[in-house]
Amino acid sequence: MLVAGVNPVDGFSALLIGALGNVPETAETLVQTTSLLFPALGIALAFRAGLFNIGAEGQLLIGGLLAGVIGERFIAPGFIAIPLLLLAGAVGGGVWGALAGWLRSRFSANEVIATLMLNYVAIQVAAYAITGPLKSAAGEGNETGELPASSWLPTILPDTRLTIALVLAVALALFLRWMLRSTVAGYQLRAVGDAPRAAQRAGIDLAKMRFWTMTFSGAIAGFGGATIVLGVLHRFNLALSPGYGFIGIAVALVGELDPIWVTVAAFVFGILQNGAIGMQAAADVPRDVVTAIEGLIILVLAGRRIITRSGAD
Amino acid sequence: MFSFLWLTLIKSAPLVYAALGGVLSERSGVLNIGLEGMIAIGAFSGVSISFATGSALLGAIGGVASGALLGAILGIAATRFRVEQIVAGTGINLIALGGAAYGLVIVFGQPGASKEVNALGRTGEVVMVCLALALAGLLHVFLYRTRAGLHVRACGENPRAADVAGIDPLRVRFWATTAGGALAALGGVFLAMAELDLYSDGMSAGRGFIALAAIIFGRWNPLGAAAAALFFGAFEALQFTLQRTGIPVEFMQALPYLAALVALAGFAGRTRAPAADGIPYTRVE
Amino acid sequence: MAAIALRGIVKRFGDLVAVDGVDLELEGGLIVGLIGENGAGKSTLANIAFGALAPDEGTVERNGVVGLVHQHFQLVERLSVWENVLLGREPRKGWRLDVAAARARVRELGERYGLHVDPDAIVETLPIGLKQRVELLRELEREPAILLLDEPTAVLAPGEIESFFTTIVTLAKRGVAILVVTHKLAEVIAYTSRVNVMRAGKIVARYVTAQTTTAELARAMVGGEIPPLTQRTVLPRQVLPVVHVQGLQANTESDSIDGVDLVVQAGEILGIAGVEGNGQTALADALAGLVPYEGTIRFRDEDLGPALGPRGRIVRGMQIIPQDRQHEALVLDWTVTENAILGRERNREFRRGPQIDRAAARAFAQTIVERFDVRPPRVDARVRDLSGGNQQKIVVGRVLAGEPTFVLAYQPTRGIDVGAAALVQSRLIEARNAGTAILLISFGLDEIFALADRVVVLYRGKIAGEFGRDAFDRARIGALMAGAS
Repeated sequence: MLVAGVNPVDGFSALLIGALGNVPETAETLVQTTSLLFPALGIALAFRAGLFNIGAEGQLLIGGLLAGVIGERFIAPGFIAIPLLLLAGAVGGGVWGALAGWLRSRFSANEVIATLMLNYVAIQVAAYAITGPLKSAAGEGNETGELPASSWLPTILPDTRLTIALVLAVALALFLRWMLRSTVAGYQLRAVGDAPRAAQRAGIDLAKMRFWTMTFSGAIAGFGGATIVLGVLHRFNLALSPGYGFIGIAVALVGELDPIWVTVAAFVFGILQNGAIGMQAAADVPRDVVTAIEGLIILVLAGRRIITRSGAD
Repeated sequence: MFSFLWLTLIKSAPLVYAALGGVLSERSGVLNIGLEGMIAIGAFSGVSISFATGSALLGAIGGVASGALLGAILGIAATRFRVEQIVAGTGINLIALGGAAYGLVIVFGQPGASKEVNALGRTGEVVMVCLALALAGLLHVFLYRTRAGLHVRACGENPRAADVAGIDPLRVRFWATTAGGALAALGGVFLAMAELDLYSDGMSAGRGFIALAAIIFGRWNPLGAAAAALFFGAFEALQFTLQRTGIPVEFMQALPYLAALVALAGFAGRTRAPAADGIPYTRVE
Repeated sequence: MAAIALRGIVKRFGDLVAVDGVDLELEGGLIVGLIGENGAGKSTLANIAFGALAPDEGTVERNGVVGLVHQHFQLVERLSVWENVLLGREPRKGWRLDVAAARARVRELGERYGLHVDPDAIVETLPIGLKQRVELLRELEREPAILLLDEPTAVLAPGEIESFFTTIVTLAKRGVAILVVTHKLAEVIAYTSRVNVMRAGKIVARYVTAQTTTAELARAMVGGEIPPLTQRTVLPRQVLPVVHVQGLQANTESDSIDGVDLVVQAGEILGIAGVEGNGQTALADALAGLVPYEGTIRFRDEDLGPALGPRGRIVRGMQIIPQDRQHEALVLDWTVTENAILGRERNREFRRGPQIDRAAARAFAQTIVERFDVRPPRVDARVRDLSGGNQQKIVVGRVLAGEPTFVLAYQPTRGIDVGAAALVQSRLIEARNAGTAILLISFGLDEIFALADRVVVLYRGKIAGEFGRDAFDRARIGALMAGAS
């Protein structure tokens, strides 16, 4: 910020006011929080199993794609359509995560690179789908047509974009925390992440756990993509994510991979994301500075030994 | 046919530079996921400095220096702070990409893309392609025929043994990573200033990650990685040649990434990275 | 004038005082022994003398170059012999490495000390005895005045030990000051002129070797008498063996087996003797279901098949005590309770639906802690904070709980204090008395002799001989371990 000749204090206060200054802005901040929280939870879950899911961006995109493409054509009452479309999103993201999981389990392929590559493939798949075979009549260029209103997620606060997606995200966080701490599946997942060789000798199937964890992680991100389509944009747009899948990594790390703290971290980053726009308008600081700051946070936090390497298998 | 070969070389050059940079740092034991960011910063800095000074050459030098700086940051993070290198690399990517996007506004007053600048021209393009291939050979000789190269390899395999033999693994890793960043940034300089004459948001387009696949495919060996990079570059060149057929554009554009995925699946399990790759080293005091 | 003098050395690692006020001097031409239990501080002291570690207090005076042959080799596996021997001191021709000069130097050293190795061989392809030779050559290349050897014969067969010490004696005759750090008392008596005994970080006794005995040294090392082991009872022999292995072939990264037949009966401890690296890991991993194998493994007359992984074996009543408790058995950052149920988390007794029954898990952990005298006796303690002996007790306790049909114990008392070792060994005998079939793989012949009903020797992946308890012949077994026929 200093480089731009802007007083950092002005910059930051513009950021905070932009994010929380009034009710509509706070609502929008929470919208950003929600959009970040889903991929972050998926990433945190994968990290707990010792897997680096850098592909949440692609998983999110594919999930949103399915929700948008199906949602545009499928007209039904909300209580049928919405769960179905959200499920479609989860399936899309899950399949995308499963691809990387399969490559890891079957071929011992490095999932970092596999998920990264799949991000770019996802962009192409989505672009092809909506300009080609799945092109909608109403949509143009890089988006689908608008979804029928019955498929929109109900809002919590009128006249804002804040929907029940927030509730769903927090519920998911609580569920994941319970799962990791109290269930047998969570125990085994943690074992695979914390001590893979001991877990294997104790009879846990490493390949299976890793595959399903990547799938579930992708499904969560895909679900998140679907909520953006159903709740925020009401259509699928290629630019639906300004990098939520990558920023989600920072969120997961700041939250120390614990679902509850990840939720808190998502709120902090939501402030950053929403505030960036306000900062740009009020203090003339371009919003990309926020991306750089988020990168800096990741870099600084990389030192904390939160993630254990799962090593070769 | 010749034009296809030349196109392949042009498309491969950034990958070759980045892959060589990655090989050097990984051989010393530092996993560099930040190649993408280093390409971007090299491209952006090169263009900006050329814009400011009017000299493409100064721009190129500046680009390399910026890559070295990012490499040094990763190097310090990996040696002094012993961070999780994959995470640090991701952070560096975001810093570089965000910083470059931000920089566009500051330097050029407009987001999205820079103005056109004095670039390296046709001669520069040819020089840099040849330089890329030459560097592959030079790095190979360095690693396998010189003392310093042997030390680098020892640090990547068993830093404790190197330490006991009087080599400082932390210093070696720092310099290898810094030099690696400089090399990767050269790829960015080529991208923005040899092939084109401007910088645009996201122009690195995942090349830094394809370079990682090239490193694995090439078994952490400079000549192998360069060959793999050429292979992936060929896929990109194929895009243009195949454009006139009915195959969808998007499939073409996805080809390099798909090729990398297939390479990962086919080869990753059978090769081994340097044994201490990615594992921070602690000197016991 | 002493070749090296350490005075008042103190070294701490966090709360642990590894070396607690030690004085030690070495003179050229003398071979001095430093003995003590695992964890007594011997390796730490050696590293301080070498210069790899700095002491927190005290001084080190060195009159010459110090060499250290490490217990765990410091070799770069993927490089060649000459690259390892000359690492950091490589000969150069201009900017290039002078490979010819390097090779010549390695050969010259080989001639001088009788330690021949092919300079171009890649270290990871060498058998372990040759790897140690490379390690030794690396130190000798620097022409040390002082040579420290940390557990040098751990990986050598009895015959190789003799030729190793011949080299050492020659070095001493040339005036090198030599320190042998070991827990093998017989070697100390045979080859040293002075012995220092270390216990809990201090030197508690110094002897002139000629004037002492192994029994006296053992008492000094342990600081008291070792409690006797549980008595073994005589059991009726069953018709059907619990484990029947035929023609087993398997490979792991460390070693391989090439056609092994053996049988373990209920209520019997079968000991596998052998120098490390002769197939023990391949045998253990094949039995555990971790590597593919050829041949058959029958468990109570059922052919297991290599496709049946660890889970299938656990379910049938096979339990394993792995060689490396920290990486293969325990999750160090978890509590005792959580570690106690590892492998059993799916069992009905610890589950309530999808959830883990914490109360049941804690109760189970509590019984292990009590039966195995784990200290501190807190089931919520983090396993990382426990000593090696207590960690191992948890592993063994977990394995023996539930009275398994078969136990494979791979180095069950590696690196733990005598008290814990005795307790573990007693519990193993008790399990045997209760009918468990036990396969004991150990690199310590004393342990095998104490526990086993029968012994087979493993050499280069094959069985080299079999002995019943009443026919245990130390010399013969030692010879077979080294490859005699």
